[in-house]
Amino acid sequence: MDGRKRRARSEFLWGWGLILPAIVGLIILNIIPIFQTIYQSFFKTGAFGRSYVFIGAQNYQKLIQDKDVFLATINTFQFVLLEVPVSIILALILAVLLNRPMRGRSAFRTIIFVPMVAAPAAVAMVWKWLLNSKFGLVNHFLNSIGLSSVDWLSDSKVALLSVAIVGIWSILGYNMVLFLAGLQEIPHDYYEASEIDGAGFWAQFFHITLPMISPTMFFVMITRIISAFQMFDFIYMLIGEQNPALPHTQTLVYLFYKHAFLQNNRGYGAAIVVYLLGIIMLITVFQMWAQKKWVYYA
Amino acid sequence: MKKQLAIGLAALLAAASLAGCGSSSGSGTAATAAKTEGEAAAAASDSATSETSASTSGQDSSDKSDVTLTVAIWDKGQQPGLQKIMDDFTAKTGIKTDIQITPYKDYWTMLEAAATGGNLPDVFWMHTFQVATYAQYDDLLMNLSDRIANDPEVDMSKYPEEFVKAFQNPNGDQIGIPKDRDTAAVWYNKDMFDEAGIPYPTADWTWDDFREDCKKLTKADGSQYGLAMKPGSDQEGWYGTIYAYGGYVISDDMKKSGFDDPNTLKGLDVIQRIIDDGSMPPYSQQADNDPLALQEAGTVAMTFQGSWAASELSVNDYLKEHIAIAPLPKGPKGAVTMSNSLAWSGSAQSKHQDEAWELIKYLTGEEAQKKQAELGVTLSAYDGASDAWAKSQPGFDLQPYLDAMDNAVLYPHSKNTNVWYTMMKEKLVSVWDGSARMDDTAKDIAKEMNADLAEE
Repeated sequence: MDGRKRRARSEFLWGWGLILPAIVGLIILNIIPIFQTIYQSFFKTGAFGRSYVFIGAQNYQKLIQDKDVFLATINTFQFVLLEVPVSIILALILAVLLNRPMRGRSAFRTIIFVPMVAAPAAVAMVWKWLLNSKFGLVNHFLNSIGLSSVDWLSDSKVALLSVAIVGIWSILGYNMVLFLAGLQEIPHDYYEASEIDGAGFWAQFFHITLPMISPTMFFVMITRIISAFQMFDFIYMLIGEQNPALPHTQTLVYLFYKHAFLQNNRGYGAAIVVYLLGIIMLITVFQMWAQKKWVYYA
Repeated sequence: MKKQLAIGLAALLAAASLAGCGSSSGSGTAATAAKTEGEAAAAASDSATSETSASTSGQDSSDKSDVTLTVAIWDKGQQPGLQKIMDDFTAKTGIKTDIQITPYKDYWTMLEAAATGGNLPDVFWMHTFQVATYAQYDDLLMNLSDRIANDPEVDMSKYPEEFVKAFQNPNGDQIGIPKDRDTAAVWYNKDMFDEAGIPYPTADWTWDDFREDCKKLTKADGSQYGLAMKPGSDQEGWYGTIYAYGGYVISDDMKKSGFDDPNTLKGLDVIQRIIDDGSMPPYSQQADNDPLALQEAGTVAMTFQGSWAASELSVNDYLKEHIAIAPLPKGPKGAVTMSNSLAWSGSAQSKHQDEAWELIKYLTGEEAQKKQAELGVTLSAYDGASDAWAKSQPGFDLQPYLDAMDNAVLYPHSKNTNVWYTMMKEKLVSVWDGSARMDDTAKDIAKEMNADLAEE
């Protein structure tokens, strides 16, 4: 009796002790800042965290009327709708292809994963040169086959697409690795059994692979959508200030950066971020609900 | 079910990590704190060696020899020259320095975080755009007034008056001493002028001449244009037209925008005409490429460049071969250049304020200011100390930059400059790409700028 109690107590201490570092980190780096940010969004902020003036919901009133916020919301959604589905479908196709025994399989897997290892800033620098309207390799190639140049990063009709392409390219490998892991968890018996029953490649794909991989897909979708909503680095690096395409590409996080750091209005910046947090939460909650309809837990 | 919950929680946290960005000053401060601690340790371990060096230099500074001042700047180009000057300082006083470079884009975020956490570098650069923000509080920037008054070696009349005033707080106390100044000029491609059969620009050329030359230097096939200039080329470029025609960007009391002033509009009309002439590369090309990059690639004949860019001349082979320097063109009010100054400021939070003052005094004193010009670091703020700078880039005559000082206007700023400054650049992009007209846009800028200024 006594021994069991002591053991329970020791397990309790060990358990909490082991997750303590993670929890402390989360509280300091995430939880507290969330509340600070929400708090900040109700103030007119001064520099150095001083002379805050409470202004109630004024930042939010300004936000509702702000044309830039409206445009940035549309841009952000467009970016998410471009990047997430394409990167998931392409990654899934690649994963299925590279899951089969073939020559040079690890080489291909590595090549596709490499962009994920490179720092986003470095990736953006290289792409910025490739896509440069005047000196870029891509336009040079287009010209050499007789097509005219495209202003990849400064034409407001194309720029968001360019950013999405770079985004897809850099995330493809990561998604693929997750899918590969998911695919390898599917027991081989299913495929063998279905083969005996006469199922072809496509029937196997739709009736075995897809349902079995749906939990992985759900995970990839949730995390990808969230990080796509938070897109900032590629807009900052590839588009940047003084670019005519900026109004049609700037995301909510870029707008936050502009107000909070370029114009030093942290309060309004905080309001933009809280608004984005609201959007992301809504979509995530919707996804959690919708997954019951399509995610298959074996 | 547990798995779903875990995924959901992970997702929410991922979303929340973004919200954390809003008040990231905390983590920034922690990083700075860690840095300074590391430096303190490094300084301690160095102290043994520095004591010997101090004694060889024959100074009575045994108590100062274990002090290392942290110095923050943003321009990598100035570091080699400044390091030499700092070495002189260390040899004289035994006080060591450690220069830390943070790129301009991140410099102010770094400095604000450091100030919030009480960890400002001992000595650092201050900019006219930012000084008002720091001047609001007494416990950030070292108040230099008493030290200046008690030190016969320091004579503030040796620095341009408008710069001295720019670095005073609302009580009139000095919170920074000007370290340098800048002016603007035109970099033109001699060979393109020769090819087009136009004489090289002289000190007498006007903005009308300039516009004509731009036209003549532009080739119909799009392989060469007269000029490259962006909305962000304000200080070295198009602000010059405003003042040359008698207009202004901001009123002297910093309360009113000058963008709807009739003379300002006359000056800006020059730019509109150059755009209409098609003398600049299509804006899509300029959006991707800096004016200087286009000039280095041989696609444009002229760019406006501030004196701060001069060191580029001896780095780039194309520029070395083709470029010469002309003064800015004249308007009814002559050729007016913008001139800005950076200052050396000290931290009011520093433990080594006496040593920091020694350094600031040395860096802004005649000897170091002359050396700064000689080494080609920048034009110096100290009266008469800049002459050597004209010859600092072998093969180039930088005299137009020095001559421009005679008709210079302090680079326009207010308390929260960046609010209207970013707005202005944003709006002008549509003039540059042809989707809006200059005079409508300028009036629009004036309206928003006045609203921003009213809120300051």
